[in-house]
Amino acid sequence: MATKTRTRHKRKEQSEFYFDYSLILIILFLLGFGMVMIYSTSSYEAFQEYDGDSAHFLRTQMIASILGLGLMIVVANIPYHFWEHFAVLGYVVSMGALFLVKTPLGVKSHGATRWFKIPGIPLNIQPAEIVKLCMILFLACLICKLGKNVRTWKGILIMVAVSLPHVILIKVITENLSSSIIVLGIAALMVFVADTDYKKYIFIGIVGCLAVAAVVFFIVTADSTEGMDFRSRRVNTWLHPESDPSDTGFQTLQALYAIGSGGIWGKGLGQSMQKLGFLPEAQNDMIFSIICEELGLFGAISIILMFLMLLWRLMIIATNAPDLFGSMLVVGVIGHIAIQVILNIAVVTNTIPNTGISLPFISYGGSSLMFLLIEMGLVLSVAKRMQLRET
Amino acid sequence: MLTNRNYQSHRKKITVACAIFALILAGLFARLVYLMVWRADYYAQKATQLHERERSIKAARGRILDRNGVVLADNRTVCTISVIHNQIQDAGQVTEVLCRELGLSEEYVSKRVEKVSSIERVKSNVDKEVGDRIREYGLAGVKVDEDYKRYYPFGDLGSKVLGFTGADNQGIIGLEVVYEDFLQGQPGNILTVTDAKGIEVEEQGERRQEPVKGRDLRITMDRNIQSYAAQLARQVMLAKEAQRVSILVMDPRNGEVLAMVDVPEFDLNDPYGLPEQTSYAAQEEYQNLLNAMWRNGCINDTYEPGSTFKIITAAAGLEEGVVTPRSTFHCPGYILVGDRRIRCHKVAGHGAQDFVHGTMNSCNPVFITVGLRLGVENYYRYFEKFGLKKKTGIDLPGEAATIMHRMEDMGEVELATVSFGQSFQITPIQLLTTAASIINGGKRVTPHFGMEVLGNEEQGAEVLSYPIEDGIVSEETSQTLRGILELVVSEGTGKNGKVEGFSIGGKTATSQTLPRGSGRYIASFLGFAPADDPQVIALAVIHDPQGVYYGGQVAAPVIRQLFENILPYLGITKEEADKGQDE
Repeated sequence: MATKTRTRHKRKEQSEFYFDYSLILIILFLLGFGMVMIYSTSSYEAFQEYDGDSAHFLRTQMIASILGLGLMIVVANIPYHFWEHFAVLGYVVSMGALFLVKTPLGVKSHGATRWFKIPGIPLNIQPAEIVKLCMILFLACLICKLGKNVRTWKGILIMVAVSLPHVILIKVITENLSSSIIVLGIAALMVFVADTDYKKYIFIGIVGCLAVAAVVFFIVTADSTEGMDFRSRRVNTWLHPESDPSDTGFQTLQALYAIGSGGIWGKGLGQSMQKLGFLPEAQNDMIFSIICEELGLFGAISIILMFLMLLWRLMIIATNAPDLFGSMLVVGVIGHIAIQVILNIAVVTNTIPNTGISLPFISYGGSSLMFLLIEMGLVLSVAKRMQLRET
Repeated sequence: MLTNRNYQSHRKKITVACAIFALILAGLFARLVYLMVWRADYYAQKATQLHERERSIKAARGRILDRNGVVLADNRTVCTISVIHNQIQDAGQVTEVLCRELGLSEEYVSKRVEKVSSIERVKSNVDKEVGDRIREYGLAGVKVDEDYKRYYPFGDLGSKVLGFTGADNQGIIGLEVVYEDFLQGQPGNILTVTDAKGIEVEEQGERRQEPVKGRDLRITMDRNIQSYAAQLARQVMLAKEAQRVSILVMDPRNGEVLAMVDVPEFDLNDPYGLPEQTSYAAQEEYQNLLNAMWRNGCINDTYEPGSTFKIITAAAGLEEGVVTPRSTFHCPGYILVGDRRIRCHKVAGHGAQDFVHGTMNSCNPVFITVGLRLGVENYYRYFEKFGLKKKTGIDLPGEAATIMHRMEDMGEVELATVSFGQSFQITPIQLLTTAASIINGGKRVTPHFGMEVLGNEEQGAEVLSYPIEDGIVSEETSQTLRGILELVVSEGTGKNGKVEGFSIGGKTATSQTLPRGSGRYIASFLGFAPADDPQVIALAVIHDPQGVYYGGQVAAPVIRQLFENILPYLGITKEEADKGQDE
């Protein structure tokens, strides 16, 4: 009895003091680096557009970072099990938030309505970001509730079924295919981890790859681009970006110019030419190509390594989480960050067709950054209660 | 509270998922290496093209020199004066100086000085001295840019041959067009790096590619002969109130054209200025008038050559052997061809005569007989062999093609008229070239002006060569014909072409222009010297002379005067005085 109390005490003591400093360091590095790059990419355009205020974008990003870091610290200090009571509420509210963009609160920008604005708060909020966070929380709860049923087809179908409404709504209401893919990817990853089986996932994976190959083949062999929808043309532009330099291929081509002209060593910080109005969304979705141009292959590999280290820290926390709920929360975050990083780099290098995805922590975008930092807060909260396997 | 355990299987799956992510990132890294190492040069070059804007620096155009090196077309440095509004410090002084130096009204200048624009041109084509003076004031915001403008020191000399250049210094007509590639040079560039809106990025500096001067062209024209021929042409045009006068002077041995005059000529330094009295209603009419003024009658227009063409009929007949100098003919003043009666110019007829005298008399029935003896097929074959169906290939733009019956359509009547130079049309240069080829021993030469392209910084000199076709007639025929044509001048219809102390061969022509009966004639004379070894051949064509219109009386004296002056100038020595008296 006494021993038991002591171990419990000891465990509690140890976990109270555990704080993942390397994770914090990586996050702060990425944030800081992101701000340097945002200033570098946006100052020239901002100077012209905002009446000499070259730090316009930097300042907004700094405010979002500070707010986000504050939220992260708050969340990190709340035991994560507190949030399980809000899972259903979050699921419903996030769905409601998607409809807000259709109300007068919706904000149109870059040709699509993907944001809404709450009066009194200077930031535009992207409801898709709320969905990502709430979906992670809801699915983590659901997996725990389903228990062993997760391994049955029924359990898998339930999980897919609950995530689909959001996936479809994001696509339909905000016309944001990339966010739909991310939410779907997060759900898929969480289902994969929760189940013990491999075979069916390998099978699904192969079928999925074949399906994508078939679609691409169909579009490539089609006689003309007439009558194709916007996405199909994007696929064509992806395969031959130089054949269509005026329209959808323009951004991709400009990104390739930036990446290619960087070479091994880069032009040096601040020396990018492509950011001088040539590359649209330079500080946003396309920031990675400017990193390549200014810092070269070595800058690019450094950033990829930083993300790999981030994933590694998240993996350590997920595998050592004290219970399945905590682990699943972190798995969701891993999915979110990994998919976004991969898709972003794949888009700027024209490895996949162009679709708007920001680079986590680095791209300009306040609401995205804040929600990412809240997710980091959750991860830190899980990490706090981490038990090392030996004990 | 959810307290499910985190099973080992979950841990393993998390590790597998992260490994897959890491692999995908490694793949993307490989893609980056490909783009940034293997494709780097390609994309960097594309990007540079995108970022650089160029301002061109004009290259000086190559000059045109006559055969002795006299400059016929030159470049003059001119200045363009512009003002840059936001660099001007003392607007009043700028306005005052520009008004005074450029002779412009104050209202005009101040309007430009006060206009808010990036750069405003005040005046272009300003003399270099004026430009230099303005530059010396050192006024802030005033820019003096140097530029080249084509300048023709002799004004209208050889205007239709040399041609002129347009606003971008590109050739518009004449040799300026044909030798454009040699003359134009390569413009240089100032490359500046700009942002997407075209604003210069100052830190990046600029790159300069220096322009390469155009290459000088030496032409066969002799300034003195050209200018003298032009003077003669103008005189006869005035005296005979003619519509147009063309004079061609060529070296029959190689086709070098020494002079090509087609008065009225125009001022090359003001090619868009019509003669003062001309009035026109519409822009289209103005353009038509300009085109007419620039038209070179020697090569752009065809005419019925008339009796000068008898040289060709004679050559064909002699070559084929259907006629010899001693062949006898009888001219009753007309000849019956089929059911047609074709009259000789001498209504009473020339009576009995041999072929030599027939030529000296320019007797139509004689040549019709020769033509008929040859027959359509033979005649046509010689017509083609002499090169009359092709263009001469002269290095000037817009040479007109021969207008001739198709062989199938040629009957006896057509053959008869062609034999004395009617019912078909050729250009004066075609007639001259064919005659030259027949009397030079049978070498079909290519008339030309381009002699040599001189070298510049990049390329060496280049002598231009032109095709020569041998053996269009035998040397024997050529020699016989030279003798006959010498007699035409010394004793026949071409007496007025005689030059004291020189043996001249030649043939006159008087042709009525279409429609017949209009009373309009073309008088012409073709002459060459020395008759036994031709070194220069000339043709004068006078369109619509008033009063006496016979070639022998109107055109032959022109060539005589020309030869009197240019034969000694060309270094052709006077022959023994007794030779001419012997004949």
